[in-house]
Amino acid sequence: MIGYVPGHSPLHRAHPYTTLALAGALLLGAFAATRPVEVWALVGAAAVFAAAGGALRASARPALLLSLPIWVLLFVLHGLLGAEPRMVVGPVSLSVPGIARALVLGGRITAIVLGFLTALATVSPHRLVEAMTAGGVPFGRTFLLASTLTILPRMRERAARILEAQQCRGLRLGGSVVARLRALGPLTLPLVLGALAEVDEQVLALDARGAGSAARRTALDPPPDSASQRALRRVLLVLVVAAYAWKFWRMRG
Amino acid sequence: MSATSAPAADERDLRVTLRDLVLVRLGVAINLVIGQIVAALLLPVYLDSVGTILVASLVGPRAAIVAGLTSQVLNAVLSGNFSWLPFALVQVVIALYAAAAARLGLFRRLATAVPAGVGMGFVAASCSAPISYFLFGGVTAGGVTVVTTVLRALGAPLGVAVAAASYSTDLLDKAIACALVSLLLRSLPRTLAARFPALAR
Repeated sequence: MIGYVPGHSPLHRAHPYTTLALAGALLLGAFAATRPVEVWALVGAAAVFAAAGGALRASARPALLLSLPIWVLLFVLHGLLGAEPRMVVGPVSLSVPGIARALVLGGRITAIVLGFLTALATVSPHRLVEAMTAGGVPFGRTFLLASTLTILPRMRERAARILEAQQCRGLRLGGSVVARLRALGPLTLPLVLGALAEVDEQVLALDARGAGSAARRTALDPPPDSASQRALRRVLLVLVVAAYAWKFWRMRG
Repeated sequence: MSATSAPAADERDLRVTLRDLVLVRLGVAINLVIGQIVAALLLPVYLDSVGTILVASLVGPRAAIVAGLTSQVLNAVLSGNFSWLPFALVQVVIALYAAAAARLGLFRRLATAVPAGVGMGFVAASCSAPISYFLFGGVTAGGVTVVTTVLRALGAPLGVAVAAASYSTDLLDKAIACALVSLLLRSLPRTLAARFPALAR
């Protein structure tokens, strides 16, 4: 399952920006790392991060499911079809530099996915919106993130209804690629034109709720932030900058 | 200027901002939902930038960039595949290109929208291929990677295989996306089209 899992772990109690900063540092660190040992240290860090959030089980399974197809493709593209020199393992001839590269790339993707799935499992959307509001983030940005997620199921349902209605009217979804491309119009036009026709109504509704006000909003229940958490976020920033400085220094050398 | 006209102008500005916001949200939703229709039709394309191109045509580049970036973030949140976040740069490029194409009126006719889409595909692939090659070694777990693997198996160097796969898929994808947006804009009822001043430019 992908999404927020309620809990009382240190990550659940932390300020949402701290958890997101940890996941962001994992992402940036993963792209800075170029050796298998560095990348796999980050995978270990991501696992510790997930365990600290009590989300190892909730995050590790989807992370593995998402990473598995990438691992298979990496094995084929780099391990089997990679450059010389090669080593023979049973009946298979593998590229030595290709396997090393696959380990770096696969580990990188696993660390990123595991880190962000943990953040997703431990950061409550409500607390994030409250933190953004308390931090003075303009209404538009919080509205975009929060409300788009709420209209998506409605749009998906509408798309499914249009699909069924057009099929009832005789639209065929199969056939040649050209025939299927022709079916795109009858399915997309009603969905988009219907949604566009509702735009003004939604603007009026938002305006009536004071959404357009430029005044700073007051968060009802802002998550507490502490000096130590702010310091941790700054340390993470310094670590990421240092990792890239080290990477480029090594590339020059 | 009279005392009453200033608040009226402020109010109009405010309405435009809220309207842009609602349209951006719509663009993001289209980007994320259109995959459902594409999957039902079993088409070998993504069309995940139709909403961005539409917002660029109806509102402008800034709103389209916001729509593109938000789509990329929400797509990562919904699918769990956060490793695709670096491809957000491609959405920015698409938004800027689409706004320029709309400004030139290229979406008014299918005959100009399709070549504009091919150009967009070329620009998008020029951004996505280096990201795919340098950050992910050509593996992004999409249909593009299957094309890359086939080309690599046929003996093409990895860089060439990644570039060829990106260009072939992006040219087709963006040409269809631009044709679809052109069709949408031409199908807008006159009363609805009149609400979007950017269309008249």
